[in-house]
Amino acid sequence: MLKLENYKNVFAAVGLVGVLLIASPTLGWFIHLPGGEKFSELWILGPGHMAEDYPFNVRTNESYMVYVGIGNHMGSSAYYVLYVKLRNQTEPLPNSTDNTSSPLAPLYEYRVFVQDGKSQEFPLTFAFPEVSSSENQSMVKSLNINGVPFGVGKLALWDPENRGYYYQLFFELWIYEPEQSALQFHNRYVGLWLNMTR
Amino acid sequence: MNWPCRNIAKTALTFYAILMLAGLVACGSLHASTGEEASSTITSADDALKLAFKRVLDAEEAGANVSSLTSDLNEAGESLAEAEVAYRNGNLTGAAGLADRCSALAGTVSVEALALKDSALADSQRAFESTSIFSTAGASAFVAALILSWFWFKRAHARKLLGMKCEVVSDAEA
Repeated sequence: MLKLENYKNVFAAVGLVGVLLIASPTLGWFIHLPGGEKFSELWILGPGHMAEDYPFNVRTNESYMVYVGIGNHMGSSAYYVLYVKLRNQTEPLPNSTDNTSSPLAPLYEYRVFVQDGKSQEFPLTFAFPEVSSSENQSMVKSLNINGVPFGVGKLALWDPENRGYYYQLFFELWIYEPEQSALQFHNRYVGLWLNMTR
Repeated sequence: MNWPCRNIAKTALTFYAILMLAGLVACGSLHASTGEEASSTITSADDALKLAFKRVLDAEEAGANVSSLTSDLNEAGESLAEAEVAYRNGNLTGAAGLADRCSALAGTVSVEALALKDSALADSQRAFESTSIFSTAGASAFVAALILSWFWFKRAHARKLLGMKCEVVSDAEA
């Protein structure tokens, strides 16, 4: 049989646990547990909203469509800017190691606000209305994005290994940092290789 | 051509050239001022949008539901993006108009976000007060019940001990 002192300890423990349980809704106002990992998602889907049928062999004056999506897991609402850029095989991509964006000027942009745990997807149509090609080079003079024409004047040389004139349409994700009151490259980008056929 | 005629033609030509030059300068400065105007309108719209977003974040942190404000922000963001694209393409008037639209939308969002934050803070204060009252009352009642049960248990335990009989165990066999 337990001694009275031992019973006293049992009562004290039950009392402490009970008080903590009853006070837990109030304690919740003061104790904030750390959230999970903070990150953002960026993706491209084909015209059927699936990860297939991406445009690859593109022709002059034909219109192509993809979906670009952004997912927010940053713990609060976020302000994203998505820059659409075009490059040839020799021009620089963003540098993930240095966390720097591509120095190429953006053509088109999206400015989106996404709540935590939510995502947003938007369509992007593009066409190359003016492309000229000579013996072993191709020149994209203009590019239409969502119906807006842009003069690009981008040259690509014939790639004998992959047999084509290659361009890359890529999307850079930037995020607004309220503490610094500035937009910063979010070190995420996705791209779409395009082979300019004659 | 005789002298007076040549002089008149020369003067007319000089006058025409000066007129053309003045026209070009005026056109250029007009274009520049429109460009600067569009640029500053876009900058103001950008600042207004950032401020609106900060206020929405504050409201969200205070516990408000910011879904409708986020969709309004998206509308303002779309206008600003279109303004930037129009500016890059040289459509300065269009860019300024779109930037103005963004500023107006962002301004409305800022005001609504402030009101929403205040109401969320008041709601949260009320919720905190009621929770702490219930917690304090619940914890006090629990502690009181526990103390009462302790005294009852102590008495019952003492009674049980007093009711026990002493038994002597014989060790004769050992």
